[in-house]
Amino acid sequence: MRRLEMQHPLTIVTILAAIGGISAVCMDPVLLSVSLIGGVLFYAVRHQGGRVAVYLTSAALFAVLALLNPLFSHNGKTVLFVVNNAPVTLEALLYGMVAACMIVAVLYWFRSLSELMTSDKWIALLSVISSKLALVLSLSLRYIPLFGQQIKRVRQAQKAVGLYKDENIMDRLRGGLRIMSTMITWVLENGIITADSMEARGYGSGRRTTYTVVRFRRSDALLLLLTALLTAATLAGLYGAGTVYYPSFSFAAWTPWRAAGYAAFCLLALLPTILEWTEAIKWRYWRSKI
Amino acid sequence: MIVIRQRRLRRMLQIGIPFVLVPLLVLLGALVFDQQRHLIVSFGVAVLSLLLFAAGFEKRVTGTRRLVLVAAMTALCVVGRLIPYLKPVTAITALTAIYLGPEAGFLTGSLSALISNFYFGQGPWTPFQMLGWGLLGLFAGYLAKPLTRSRILLILYGIFAGVAYSVLMDVWTVLWYNDSFDWTLYGAALVTAIPYTVSYALSNVLFLWLLADPIGRKLNRVKVKYGV
Repeated sequence: MRRLEMQHPLTIVTILAAIGGISAVCMDPVLLSVSLIGGVLFYAVRHQGGRVAVYLTSAALFAVLALLNPLFSHNGKTVLFVVNNAPVTLEALLYGMVAACMIVAVLYWFRSLSELMTSDKWIALLSVISSKLALVLSLSLRYIPLFGQQIKRVRQAQKAVGLYKDENIMDRLRGGLRIMSTMITWVLENGIITADSMEARGYGSGRRTTYTVVRFRRSDALLLLLTALLTAATLAGLYGAGTVYYPSFSFAAWTPWRAAGYAAFCLLALLPTILEWTEAIKWRYWRSKI
Repeated sequence: MIVIRQRRLRRMLQIGIPFVLVPLLVLLGALVFDQQRHLIVSFGVAVLSLLLFAAGFEKRVTGTRRLVLVAAMTALCVVGRLIPYLKPVTAITALTAIYLGPEAGFLTGSLSALISNFYFGQGPWTPFQMLGWGLLGLFAGYLAKPLTRSRILLILYGIFAGVAYSVLMDVWTVLWYNDSFDWTLYGAALVTAIPYTVSYALSNVLFLWLLADPIGRKLNRVKVKYGV
């Protein structure tokens, strides 16, 4: 295993998107705290402790977001105090804190994502996965209006030749089929010409080169598999009744499944940090041997 | 176009993508993701079918030419879907598959569903349509030899395709109603869908009969002329 930064872009995106995605859809206090801790740890480890300003900003953001909810939402049974005749409830405060936790956690993960995935890595990734898809989609979408224009042209030409004289349904049907047949020939020939012209201009002459060396190693496959398993375990474990916030706060029932889901997510959220730590330990070990 | 050189990997992709990965993705998409995220699943299926397509040839030039032909046939499918009541999508997909290979058929089918739904409405049904048309194209490609030889078999394939498409889409209907799969509901959905099933089968037969000759001959000609 290597540091996450050194892995294939696909692995980086998948891991961080899985963590961020799960955090964004689950309103679960335990899971979100884990996600927040994981996100902050990963940031701290990558920046040798990190900048104080970043922590302060996120703490302020957390406070504002957490306090905003009880000011606007007055649901819940337990009234803490009353401001301007509006009750401020414990439940709304708790919900606000969990929501703030989610937003701050996701922000930390996206921060790491944008730091790890520099633009050249995105290009490397998209040129493998999606530039073809983009090409086929745009080719097909371009052909649709082209069809319309060409059909009109063929029909005009056939009219000029003297076809479609009577308003006869059989005649029109036969005419439609004739146009269809012409169109198919045209589109196939045109397609080949397009393909040859693309080829002549060097489309697909070897893989697109990228600035960074991108290689899919065995560790990438392993990490992807692990991420998929952990994500599936988390979602399966947390599926069903969740934490209830209103009218009164109650945790979801503690089942072995749920515990397993939490454990899986713990591992997933700490995975980037663990990779970073392993590398640091290895580095120190090798240096101590010199 | 990417070329996959290892024969074993190609083989694995050719079997794994259409029969394992895409169905899994579609089912997971329907069960796990909420309904808003269907477009991600659709694009996932599209990427996978492109990969499958890439597993279908060995030379790059062939790949590019075939890719553009697939794009053209897809556009034809999309335009064909504008015809009221009778849909030629399955027929065109099947014919493309017969002449350009099963993988090209899968790609044509799945892309037709994706692109035409930009006009007809995207929804959680899109991945199912992609899978359905894709697989029907794939099977037509596998059966290319008998299907080109016998007109009767082609008609029978049209009927089979209509029924199979309906059977698959009803899986989506049940999942959409119920959140989980239920056999009695599935049976009911199949029965209520009979008029649609008949119309699918009918339009498949009609268009296969009408288009087999023009499209088939022309695709064959292009294939011979340019060595796709």
